[in-house]
Amino acid sequence: MSTANEQKLMQVLLAPIISEKSTLVGEKHNQYVFRVLDRATKPEIKAAVELMFSKKDSQIEVTGVSVVNVHGKHKRFGRQMGRRVNWKKAYVTLKAGQDINFQATE
Amino acid sequence: MTSTIETISALERQLTMNVAVAQVEREVGERLKKLSRTVRMPGFRPGKVPMKLVAAQYEPQVRGEVLGDAVQKAFSDEVESHKLRVAGYPKIEAGEAGASDVMAFKATFEVYPEFEPADLAGVRVERPVLAVTDAEVDRTIESIRKQRATFAEAARGAQAGDRVKIDFVGTVDGVEFPGGKASDFDVTLGEGRMLPDFEAGMAGVAAGETRSFDVSFPAEYQSSELAGKTARFTITAHKVEEPVLPPIDEALARDLGVADGDVAKMRSEIRDNVEREVTQRLAGMAKQRVMQVLVDGTEVTLPKALIEAEIDRLIEAMKADLHSRGMKDLDKLPFERDMFRERAERRVKLGLIVSEYIKRHNLAARPEQVRKLVEESARTFEQPFEMIRWVYSQPDRLAEFEGMAVETNVVNWVLEHAAVEDVAVAFDELMSTGRAS
Repeated sequence: MSTANEQKLMQVLLAPIISEKSTLVGEKHNQYVFRVLDRATKPEIKAAVELMFSKKDSQIEVTGVSVVNVHGKHKRFGRQMGRRVNWKKAYVTLKAGQDINFQATE
Repeated sequence: MTSTIETISALERQLTMNVAVAQVEREVGERLKKLSRTVRMPGFRPGKVPMKLVAAQYEPQVRGEVLGDAVQKAFSDEVESHKLRVAGYPKIEAGEAGASDVMAFKATFEVYPEFEPADLAGVRVERPVLAVTDAEVDRTIESIRKQRATFAEAARGAQAGDRVKIDFVGTVDGVEFPGGKASDFDVTLGEGRMLPDFEAGMAGVAAGETRSFDVSFPAEYQSSELAGKTARFTITAHKVEEPVLPPIDEALARDLGVADGDVAKMRSEIRDNVEREVTQRLAGMAKQRVMQVLVDGTEVTLPKALIEAEIDRLIEAMKADLHSRGMKDLDKLPFERDMFRERAERRVKLGLIVSEYIKRHNLAARPEQVRKLVEESARTFEQPFEMIRWVYSQPDRLAEFEGMAVETNVVNWVLEHAAVEDVAVAFDELMSTGRAS
């Protein structure tokens, strides 16, 4: 069983972001892009990625994490103004030669 | 691409085909590249999706398609080059490849049988003949009159053909049984609608008379409570009526659609009708006999695939028939395939024989022949030209008429080449046989 701390780390990563830009940086700098919890810190994100995507035979090593706070867009709904929630995006750099295969992980 | 053909049984063949892996891979790559230019995915502009993602999503599907196409092509090439006539659909499965750079496939299928159709030289075909004479016309008029008979009260004992209004009560061992009692019930004697004992008991009964007699129910009577038992019936006759046939006169002629009431004209019209009917039925009978001769005289192994397909078709037709009669829950009905097997086999066999004759003796339907058939059947419609156009606008509608023409050709050919013996048939017998299909 995983420890309480691991349980917490498993909540950090919300979804991978797969887009033209993310594949571009992925190919250029071996970076992967995630949507993460608003309150997650860089060390937490690093630990979470290493925990979630390491396999028995290959330990994933994160060399850097950059985060962006994305402000929710203002949206008009009829006469009312609305606001989408703010969220946090993390660019995670892996050590050269390592990769994450999203299709293979459950 | 190499391939081998094995003969498994008389009609079954197994074709082993090899498809080069490299070629398949190249084809898959090409198709994926083509696909990546049009594929849409959220987060990407159309055509900008990386190859890796496209491949991950579409490769299995594309590979399946490419393989399917390759196998299909290999199969049809082989069939073409060996001049095989495949019956039904091939069953294709993966086989063991001899080398790593090829994939092997095994196709199991049946071919159309090669056979000698029945030798007609020594065969005798009975062709039914019947010349329509005045006697037949009289008979027809007679039956028309009978259908239009009116009943008039008669002060005498009932005899065959009379209608008698009765009350009756039936008892078995002194107890009345359900359905054994009725009043003001019309019985027409001599039609066989009542049990024979009942009719015999009623013979000669006069109006106002009360009678009792025993009626023994047959062992296979529909109501199991009564089957095989003997019941005592007590009847009271109220009225005896004798049939009065309408005289052959102007009124009858008008009734039958001759506007000016000319009896001679009515007679000639009836004669025309009878002759048309007789010709049609004779042709139908002759066709049936010819087909029987062909089926009996030909020895041929039937491809199982064709029989199964024919069974499917028969079941479908049966379902459609039941459906049009308002049956529901058809899918729940158990259809025993074996119920249809014999008929399917006969039909497949006939189909094979007929097509063999067509091929050998050039009996295919001629366009003008088909045209004539279509026009003939269109004549009964209000707008014949609409009908003709409707038929010609769809190949499968036309196919039906072509089939008819071909059958006629085959029948005629057989009748020309076999020893034909004319056999007279009785008018009644001919008319009572259902119209041959």
